[in-house]
Order: sequence, then C-alpha cells, then structure tokens
Amino acid sequence: MGRLRTLPDALADAARGDAGYLFAAGRADTFRSFADIRIASMRAARALREAGLRRGDLVALVIADAEAFLTMLCAASMAGVIPASLYPPALMGAGDLSRYFQLTAGILRAARARAVVTSAALVPAFDGLRPRCPSLSLVIAHEQCEAPLAEPDVLPALDDIAFVQFTSGSTSAPKGVALTHANLSANIDAINGPAGLMTGADDVGVSWLPLNHDMGLVGMALGAMYAARPCVLLPPQTFVKRPAEWLRALTRHAGTISFAPSFAYDLCVRRIKDADLEGLDLSRWRVAGCGAEPIHPPTLAAFARKFAPVGFRETSFLPSYGLAEHVLAATFAPRGRPLRIENSLVSCGTPLPGHSIRIVDAVNQPVPERRIGEILLAGPSVMLGYYHQDEPGDAIEDGWLRTGDLGYLADGELFVCGRAKDVIIAHGRKYHPQDLEWAVDDLAGVRRGRVVAFGTAGAGRADRVVMVVEPNGTVPAASLTDMVRRRIGDLFGLYVDEVAIVPSGTVGRTTSGKVQRAATRERWASLAELKAESRELRAES
Amino acid sequence: MVQPASASLEHTVIDVLKNVSRRPIEPTMDSDLVADLGFDSLQVLELVAELEDRFDVSIPLNDVPSTRTVAQIVAQVARLVGERPTA
Repeated sequence: MGRLRTLPDALADAARGDAGYLFAAGRADTFRSFADIRIASMRAARALREAGLRRGDLVALVIADAEAFLTMLCAASMAGVIPASLYPPALMGAGDLSRYFQLTAGILRAARARAVVTSAALVPAFDGLRPRCPSLSLVIAHEQCEAPLAEPDVLPALDDIAFVQFTSGSTSAPKGVALTHANLSANIDAINGPAGLMTGADDVGVSWLPLNHDMGLVGMALGAMYAARPCVLLPPQTFVKRPAEWLRALTRHAGTISFAPSFAYDLCVRRIKDADLEGLDLSRWRVAGCGAEPIHPPTLAAFARKFAPVGFRETSFLPSYGLAEHVLAATFAPRGRPLRIENSLVSCGTPLPGHSIRIVDAVNQPVPERRIGEILLAGPSVMLGYYHQDEPGDAIEDGWLRTGDLGYLADGELFVCGRAKDVIIAHGRKYHPQDLEWAVDDLAGVRRGRVVAFGTAGAGRADRVVMVVEPNGTVPAASLTDMVRRRIGDLFGLYVDEVAIVPSGTVGRTTSGKVQRAATRERWASLAELKAESRELRAES
Repeated sequence: MVQPASASLEHTVIDVLKNVSRRPIEPTMDSDLVADLGFDSLQVLELVAELEDRFDVSIPLNDVPSTRTVAQIVAQVARLVGERPTA
C-alpha cells in the first residue's frame, strides 16, 4: 500500500490529472476537474483565514449543494480548521424548522463550533442561533468564500482531524466521530486497493448518496479523488424520486463503481418499469457495492434478475460492512464472487488489509468461529474518538473499536446478524433512539421524559420503528399518535410504524434519570402479547 | 378553478396514494400524508414522481414540504393541470 496522504495532498495529486467530478443536476451537468476543485478550495481556504478562523477551530458545514460542500470540505483542511458536516434542513424532511434549528444548535454548542458555513439563504437563520451557541462567532455564506488565490500556509498533518461526522443529532451529548487524515487515507487506500475495489484507470464512479453520509462522502466522492478517477454525483432526491436516473447515469457515463444501501436496490426493483429498461446498459458496472444497512438477499437476487437483460451481472454485487467510527469500510466480500449466503445472511467478507476483526462474548472474550458475539475492529481506520466528548466512553478499548453490532465469523468471513446497541437503521441511515425520544419530548400530551424509541428488526430486514409514549392526559390518544408521527416525519423523514400509548409506569427510569429502554421494550412486548391474547379471547367468545 | 373533472382527479390521486403506500390505506380528503397514511420522506418523493407521470405535470420540490393532506395534493395537481399548456 502507498504512503498515507492528507486530504490536501490527495487533492493536489489528483489535480495533476484530467479527472474530476461531474455534478449531474438534471437539465445541466457541471464538470469540475480536481484541479478546478483545488483552486476553488485554495481561494475558499484563504477566505476562511481572512474571516478570522484559526488552526483547530471547528467549522460546521451545512451545505446541500455537492460542489460547494466538497469545495468547503477541502478548503477547511487547507485552512487548518476542522470541518464537521451537519444535515442541511432540506434533507431533514420539512415543516418544523424551529425544531431543526434547536437540534442543530445543540450540536453546534456541544462541538463548540466557531463558525458555520452555509448557503446565503440560511445565513440569517444561523445568525439567529448565536445567543444559544456562545462559541459561534462567524456565520459565513459559501457563495462569498472567494478570496484571491494563494498557496495554503497551514496545511494539516496526518494526525490532525480531517473531519467530524455527527452520527447522532440532538440530545445533550451529540456524538461527532473525529477522523484523522491518517484514518481517512488508510481506509480509502484499502478500499481502492487490490483487496477492495482495485480501482484502476478505467473506473468511473456514479453516486446519488448524500455527502453527509459516510458511504457517499468517503466511499464515493473522496474515494474517487484519492484514486484520481472521475465520479458522477447525482442529487439524492433525483434517485429517490426516479430510481431509474441512477441506472441511466451508470449507462450514460459507463459507470463501473457504485455503492448503495440495500433499500436502493429494492426501490429499483419495485419502481423501475419494464419500459424504462430500454436503453439501459449496465454491463460496465463491475462493483455494485452494498452496505450501510442489513443486506436482504432476496432483494439483491430480484435486482439481478430484473437487470440481467440489460447487462447486470450478479457477481458485481460487493457486500460490505462498516461504520462511521471506522471511517467507512471494515470488511469486503471478494470481488466477482457470487453472494455467499448462510442462514439468510450475506457474507460481508474479510477485513481490509492491515485491519483486524474479532468477535467477543459478553465478558469481552473472543469466541470461536460460528459463535455470535459483538463485532470488534482494530487497525488504522479506527477513529480518534468522539469529538469533544467529556466522557471518553467505552467505544474503544485497547485499540479495539466496539461496533455495537452482532455477528459471527465463518472461514474468516463476517456475517452480521444484529445490533447490541439500540441504534435504529432505516434507509441506510442510523437513528439514535435518544434523538427520536428527544424530538417528541416537548409535545403537548407527552409525559416528559417518558418516551422510549426502538427498532424491531427481522433477519436482513429494515427495522420497524416503535415509540412507546406515556401520555399526560391533556391530549386524546389518537391525536397524540398523529402528533408523534408528524413530528418524527418532519424532523427525520421517518415513519413511526407503531406509536404505543401506554399506562404510566410502563416507561421505567434508572436512578440517574435515564429511560430504561430494554426494560420498557420488554414491557411493550408483553403488553402487545396481552392485547393479542385478549383479541383472541374476544374472537373465540 | 372548479372543473367537472375534479371528481375523477380526486379518484386518480387516491389511486396513486394507495399504490405508493403498499399498506392497506383508505385515504380521504382530510388524510394527512405522514400521520394518517404513513408516508415517509422516500414515499413522498415517490408519490411526486407518480403524480407527475400520471398527470403529465412537473411538481416543484419546494412545494412538497407544505403539502400535508390529500386535499392539498388534489388542489396542487388541479392547479398544475390547469396551468399546463394545451397541446
């Protein structure tokens, strides 16, 4: 493997070639070579310095536009400041902007952000957050980051933080994954290397994934930059609205590499009409990566069947496992092999070179093959830690990252079968129950602090989202259910499958005042059983 | 604008809603997309695409967040159909 590089170094290397990003925007595509991106980033870096930002300051990027986001990300590195990506409001769904800004203010405060860089339209709203965020001294429009070109003077070192990715939204302790330039380079180089994608001179990436998601940013956009290969970037909404646009982009640009969560393959199967197959050519697509959520084997089989007539090969599927705390990827299945399926689970393959995996039991002892336990990871991709977290937490022990995911090894290959942590996964994105609970805690009708959220997962299936709510009696149960669904829909674009309005005392609390999620979940399950039994009794009588 | 075709337009919108939902739903004009019909953000965009195809109109994504009920969707589609240049 080559030497590790910082982001500005990788960009400088890429800028020597002709490749770059094609930002596909429906009517008009915009091509920007890596050299263009580098020049724009240098000018923006200078603008950030002139605005008064200094080495080590945290700058929150709240930018929906892909070109602007990538430019500002590189610019932050060149200015020696630490960029953090936050969800822009448009992607969060709709409606309830005041709650969005409350949520975002919580992150900015916890991260002690010195500046926000956003679009000019959002500058006034973020200016309005200053009283709530004492550290926030600058709100900058990315459109105005165009200082005269100058060589960067505060380039980062490999051990500096390359960026912080907030995986948890809202509560008192938002979790920002801090990744160093060394982390980033180690993971991306391994992804692009011979045991990963073996990215070569003919490769073209195509992605519709959001850039504030690790797979979209690291796997696709930065992966292409570090390999100096072209990458076509579509807006996520384009794909969700019309999934065929993804496959048309792969066809038009002879795309060879594209990653997506399992749900995206499912959307293509369900929503692309046979008439839309005409003109598609997926024969160049050699890596159809799959990860970020449980992989559902029948979905991939159905996709392969449907698109075989237009040249798709089932052996192009590349199942993978990873998480933001490990930059992105941890394991890859071997390229070009049919899916290996056991117990309805897809093999996610073996660890990347230079990285290790271990399965441990409840007392942290490694277990033999084919025994289920928690997945632990070690190696150069393990994050530095959670940014500005006062409690170090137990995420990393002796260099081993606790993933909170459950799995087993068979012949050294990883099969992921569940989660030990409470995280809910929907549409390839992780939701922390605390965030959902917090989001509805202030609704009229909800008994404060008596809300529990969890997901109920089936094998390889998306989670069903359940929220257990104790009412305070001021709002009828039916309206409360609506209010909870609407709030979560507005804020996270997520549908709550079941809102359980339960008698008081169902949601337990620990002595330190935290909700007892597991205990509440068990009570919910037994309540549901009781209900089912009484229904059966009624039916019998 | 009240058109004689509005009843069939309502009917078609409800038909599309049922198709996109994949849950057994019985939408009425007052149904809320998220709270009553269980649409998540993905399905809302799917709905937009289906409506565009069905009515041959272009629904601006900016308008989507403020659309909450079936009645609002019907009104929006009726307006766009009304504005559509007649071929």
